[in-house]
Amino acid sequence: MYSAGIDMGSRTVKVVFVEELKVDGAPQLKWGVKGKHIMFPEDLDADQAADKAFDEALQAAGLTRDQVKRVVATGAGRKQVKFASEDVTEVSAGAKGAVFMCPAARTVIDVGAEEGRGIKADGDGKVVDFAGNEKCAAGAGAFAESMSRALQLSLKDFGEASLRSDKTIPMNAQCTVFAESEVVSLIHSSTPKEDIAKAVLDAVASRVTAMARRVGIEGDVALIGGMVHNVGFVQSLKTALGVDQVLLPEMPEYVPALGAALIAAEGK
Amino acid sequence: MSGLFDQFKEWYEKRHDYARAWKGRTGGQVVATMCTYTPEEVLIAAGMLPVRVLGAHEPQNVTEPHIFGMFCPFCRDSLAQGLLGRFDYCEGVTLTQSCIQYRQAFNSWRMHVPTVKWDYYLPMPNEVQSRFARVMHYAEVKKFREFMEGVIGRKIPDADLKRSIEVLNENRRLLRELFEFRKETNPRVTGVEALYASLTAQFVDKEEHNRELQRVLAEVAKRPNDREEGIRFMTIGSENDDIAFMAMVESVGSTIVIDDQCSGTRYFWNEARVQDDPIATIADRYCERPACPTKDYPAHTRFDHVLKLAKDYNARAAIFLQQKFCDPHEGDYPDLKRHLEDNGIPTLFLEFDITNPLGPFRIRVEAFLETLREEELF
Repeated sequence: MYSAGIDMGSRTVKVVFVEELKVDGAPQLKWGVKGKHIMFPEDLDADQAADKAFDEALQAAGLTRDQVKRVVATGAGRKQVKFASEDVTEVSAGAKGAVFMCPAARTVIDVGAEEGRGIKADGDGKVVDFAGNEKCAAGAGAFAESMSRALQLSLKDFGEASLRSDKTIPMNAQCTVFAESEVVSLIHSSTPKEDIAKAVLDAVASRVTAMARRVGIEGDVALIGGMVHNVGFVQSLKTALGVDQVLLPEMPEYVPALGAALIAAEGK
Repeated sequence: MSGLFDQFKEWYEKRHDYARAWKGRTGGQVVATMCTYTPEEVLIAAGMLPVRVLGAHEPQNVTEPHIFGMFCPFCRDSLAQGLLGRFDYCEGVTLTQSCIQYRQAFNSWRMHVPTVKWDYYLPMPNEVQSRFARVMHYAEVKKFREFMEGVIGRKIPDADLKRSIEVLNENRRLLRELFEFRKETNPRVTGVEALYASLTAQFVDKEEHNRELQRVLAEVAKRPNDREEGIRFMTIGSENDDIAFMAMVESVGSTIVIDDQCSGTRYFWNEARVQDDPIATIADRYCERPACPTKDYPAHTRFDHVLKLAKDYNARAAIFLQQKFCDPHEGDYPDLKRHLEDNGIPTLFLEFDITNPLGPFRIRVEAFLETLREEELF
């Protein structure tokens, strides 16, 4: 039998199936990923989007609904997933998925488009404590996205450009809009784009590091969320945390859906 | 809501209408009061209606010329209500010293709200633990009485002060009786209902409020206690009258069973110890009440008080409702958090503003609940 996690995000729906694995010589159950699927809904009808994404995911994984014993939903629209037996917050699902992918991680930093978050987790991926940014985008991916637009760089180039800089330019503004004014001032003073890109990513890294410090940094640090793809941000985060390594799970967009699937699989 | 607390709810929602009607009915003066350290006994003995200034939780743009944007949202929201004319029925405004941000909001109110006819700033020692505090506060309450006598043009007899002490003590006693129901498993009184009761005590005529409390107390015992309590929470902070937030918390599998807030228990927790001298009775009562962080040094008396409330009411966890930029509470937070957590009470920190983002707050409260319900979830 299989279990499923469905992450109803604000822009996408992600589905992950896990299956029970029997490991030779190991009495305990292990789980493996059976399939994953991402869907970009064409409209905002959450009820239909959940059903459609789930059906597509089943088809892609070669499964039928009967083979899925339990579904747990997560994400902003998790309450809309009528066929889920339970729902969990992105915090619990993210921690669960991150520790599964990176078993040494006890600190999980989640930087998505709209929220940055620091989570302390135990060895089972259970949340011990967490902190998020308060009504402010400066510690979230949307801030970096906005700044990359101001610099007229793609997100990919934005991250890579920052790696070419060895300057440290403090961003004084805490607010996305005011920070954009600072970026414009830097552009007008002919500051190289790579230095500005690094300044922006250092600022985001500093904000999320502060959140992680609020809950206490323990063990290895794993980064999840869309900013995993930003190589410059990963470097800035390492510097801000003062660590040599930040664990980056594979398929970072699917981590909360995976976490929800694992909670479904382990559920009583 | 079953309807049992509807009168409190209506008073809360139509508090300005209530005060205007009281004024029309009695011909008495209405006084806008800031801070729960205000000795309402004196105002009531003078035949007035003390009305605590509360915010409206809506965006406003009128306070910027008067106080800084980094003053606490409750001070800004309170001042906005005055500047917007919402308390235009109040002849007087008074503040008893607590925090400096509140004092500046009060000063702007008395200078810039055109309907104010008189104002009184009542100094009160912040170091209430000092052996000189009660002596000083005695003198200040006495001066306040003399000032009020000047406002109404007649003496306030001791008998009237003693009568108002009695009425306020009864109010405090009845509220504590009501809060006793929150100790039960599956409490018959929810956090939202209790908040309606304690908040309205701060602006409704006390005798009328006492009658309503007596009516509710007679009925509430007949209520079935079949509402699943979920996780039992305590709330901690300064002022909180964000009913929508409280209702949200209680809608996601929890019950708020007790608080340490000036909108709740700190307002009414201790009765005045009746002495021969009514001024001493009043002055001592405010020095002895559960302390606000502005008046809790050098010893931190409130840490054990908060923990005892949590234990007595069997709170499983606590939520700090931190008014942004409220320095006194922010100063206490790290040590109080540690004190609670060391004693088995996990905490969640939420930063409050004039308007609050209920969606993100819901995710945080639910995630906190998940950490508390691990056994069920995993």
